[in-house]
Amino acid sequence: MASALKLVGIRKSFDGALALDGASFESRAGEVHALLGENGAGKSSLMNVAAGLYAPDAGSISIDGVPIALSGPAAARQHGIGMVHQHFKLVKPFTVAENVLLANPRPHFASGIRNIRAAIEKQVGELKFSIDPDRRIETMTVAEQQQVEIVKVLVGGAKILILDEPTAVLTDAEAVGLLEIVQRLARSGTAVVLVTHKLQDVKRFADAVTIMRGGKTVATLDPRKSSAEELTELTVGQTLPLPVRTPHQGGPTKLNVGALCYTRGDGRTMLNNTSFHIRAGEIYGIAGVSGNGQAELAEALIGAIEPSSGEIWLDGTGDISRASQAKRREAAIAAIPADRYTYALAGSLPISDNLAVAQIRSGRYGGLIKLDRAAMRRDAATAVKDYDVQGVRSVGQKASLLSGGNAQKLVIAREFSRQPQVVVAHSPSRGLDARACAAVHQRLIAARERGAAIVLISEDLDEVLSLSDRIGVMSRGAIVGEFERPADRQAIGRAMVDHG
Amino acid sequence: MISPAPAASRGLGRLTLDVRQDLSPWKQTAFVGSSLVFGLAISLAILAAAGIPPLTLASELAAVLTAENLRGVLVQAAPLILVGLGASLAFRIGFWNLGIEGQMIFGGIFAAAISIYDVGPQATRLLLMGSAAALGGALWVLLVVFLKRRFRVNEIIATLLLNYVAMYFLFHLLYGAWQDAKTAFPQSSPLRPFERLGDIGYGINSGLLIAIAGVLAAGWLIHLSRIGFYTRFISANPRMAKIVGVPVQAATLWIIAASGACSGLAGFVNVASQEGRLTQSYANGYVFSGVLIAFLSRNDPVVVAVVGFLIAVLFITGQTLQVFYQIPLTMVQMIEAIIVMAVASSEFLIRHRIRWLR
Repeated sequence: MASALKLVGIRKSFDGALALDGASFESRAGEVHALLGENGAGKSSLMNVAAGLYAPDAGSISIDGVPIALSGPAAARQHGIGMVHQHFKLVKPFTVAENVLLANPRPHFASGIRNIRAAIEKQVGELKFSIDPDRRIETMTVAEQQQVEIVKVLVGGAKILILDEPTAVLTDAEAVGLLEIVQRLARSGTAVVLVTHKLQDVKRFADAVTIMRGGKTVATLDPRKSSAEELTELTVGQTLPLPVRTPHQGGPTKLNVGALCYTRGDGRTMLNNTSFHIRAGEIYGIAGVSGNGQAELAEALIGAIEPSSGEIWLDGTGDISRASQAKRREAAIAAIPADRYTYALAGSLPISDNLAVAQIRSGRYGGLIKLDRAAMRRDAATAVKDYDVQGVRSVGQKASLLSGGNAQKLVIAREFSRQPQVVVAHSPSRGLDARACAAVHQRLIAARERGAAIVLISEDLDEVLSLSDRIGVMSRGAIVGEFERPADRQAIGRAMVDHG
Repeated sequence: MISPAPAASRGLGRLTLDVRQDLSPWKQTAFVGSSLVFGLAISLAILAAAGIPPLTLASELAAVLTAENLRGVLVQAAPLILVGLGASLAFRIGFWNLGIEGQMIFGGIFAAAISIYDVGPQATRLLLMGSAAALGGALWVLLVVFLKRRFRVNEIIATLLLNYVAMYFLFHLLYGAWQDAKTAFPQSSPLRPFERLGDIGYGINSGLLIAIAGVLAAGWLIHLSRIGFYTRFISANPRMAKIVGVPVQAATLWIIAASGACSGLAGFVNVASQEGRLTQSYANGYVFSGVLIAFLSRNDPVVVAVVGFLIAVLFITGQTLQVFYQIPLTMVQMIEAIIVMAVASSEFLIRHRIRWLR
């Protein structure tokens, strides 16, 4: 079969951070081609390049063997590339027909709407969808909205259909239904690209799979001829040598999370009886496919959200699941959130302020009447030196000017300044280079040696494996399996996907 | 750097917008300054078109700086500085207080109530009136905080609309219980001499002292105190502030109360110095002036004092132009608006770099 979409040597960086590092991809007409990889592997970025949303720094794109340059999404649409994004691009108060018209403009509104309605009905009939062109988007379920997105792209004449994590928002039955339709669509000659991190979907519905890791495409193979183990290994990478540490002593229980539940604003249950405990001097790793409640667990532990039921019991303090931040600080909980610039730093404020803010209440930097700025600057200079924060010209400069790794060191310097009893670290090395990553890991190990209880939530399985004394696998808001060190990587990988 | 898709590429090259990472304070000041000059130039052109040559304008501006006119400017400056403080304090924590007029009205009503019900000895009467005014302004804005926290009512709408509620409540008093019995005008009876803000020498009104005290207090609150430190985190990143243990709710409440108190004091100053009684219109137009001053001073209480003075100069000049050149008041307001827009666009230039790629 002929090549439909071909990307070669695509590179793309955002403000210095490399998202795509020479990625290549080729899909054919009549095929469902899966793009598999962990979160942050670069799958969506690569497809956004194909859809004309990102202009690549280097690399080439060709359609049906002809090299093209995409000046934007409209140009991609003209070349027959249609993308259904993970977050739908629909105008909620508009009807289906109006939304489709918006994406596929016609010269006149009244005749355009008639024309579009006919085109929708034709597509809906062929795909055996059940959507009415005159319904408003806001009255539709997520699965129906997704059908609108697909119809919108097909009415535009797409020959190459890119679906970004289409099953993430669907129930199992809806997902199977959708993927069967997508498979039929491919059989009729469309080139379908299925971006996913779900191994089962790939095994069951894809004709070819390309695996991405760290912004690179590492392999393209036939999913029917490769084992799940092989695919898992390619996705998560090879095991790295472990850092040196003392064997775990088995102290008293420091933190106990009991039957924690949390339902998000949109009605999705993100934490469903999450339970585990951590002893003093222990690193408890939480592994799992992203979106299974890890983010919400971290937010509940650091107090960004309030769980609907359950408890977070802390040795010597009691239940803190609904405690104020002041009380959490008193209990010496250190928070290293995944999203540094949302939860840990105020980018527009000076480094010294960002370091001092957690200890203002203690009176270390003066009373209510007057703050001791000199002391803040002094302490900040010491912390910057101790924690090897690079790129600091003065402690008065904005925190946002630091690179990711150094910003993370700054967060750790603040959070570790008071000998924490409990450390909650969520993807602490995300976006860091090897050296900064090693420094962060070393700090976590040091806290462990000191007797702190550490929760390490990470989508990077290597990180979890190399640091944890015990590992809990999280799936659909619950811990579905626990593994003692040394844990079997493949067994964990299976536990992650079996429940996902 | 965020580089959105090209805006236009029709042979001439294309325009791109980059988000700036950092800009030195000097360059920022230069951007604001040049925008201000640009806005003034447009204003001058409009005035010239309305029949006032720039040279005449310059001589009118110079005339403002004579001792007699300067006194008028300082009287005008006191309430302007206070409403500027009220707006800038609230804006610092992202609370869009557009209810300055309502808070001024309640400040005036509370102060007048002390006079009308003859509360306290003569010696401390003014102090009591001032405190009551601050309390009145604070309570009126805290009502909005309650609505926002309890019912999630947007504060822009709530503060703005409550201005009308305050205004009609004032009318209710002035056409009813508090109407001047002697003249039957819709005004309160005049304040007694010891209830008025008098001169402190050189013909300067003591209202200015209240404004200066307000500037010092707000400057301390923002730049030196612990709450001021908290406010920087609350405005920079409220979610992060909460996580690191900043008492977001409490600090926000105090700052908003201080904002309302400043506006209440502005009401008191107008009632007790210029008007000498509760009138219908002592708060008119101050929302816009407050927002303008806060905006031009980039919410810094110390700069508010300077900008408040300059706006007072503009007001007095505007009055002269009205009297001697038949320029309508709306013209003066239009010039204010032009200056606001010019400074607003400088904000955009500070955050973005525009480049022309060929």
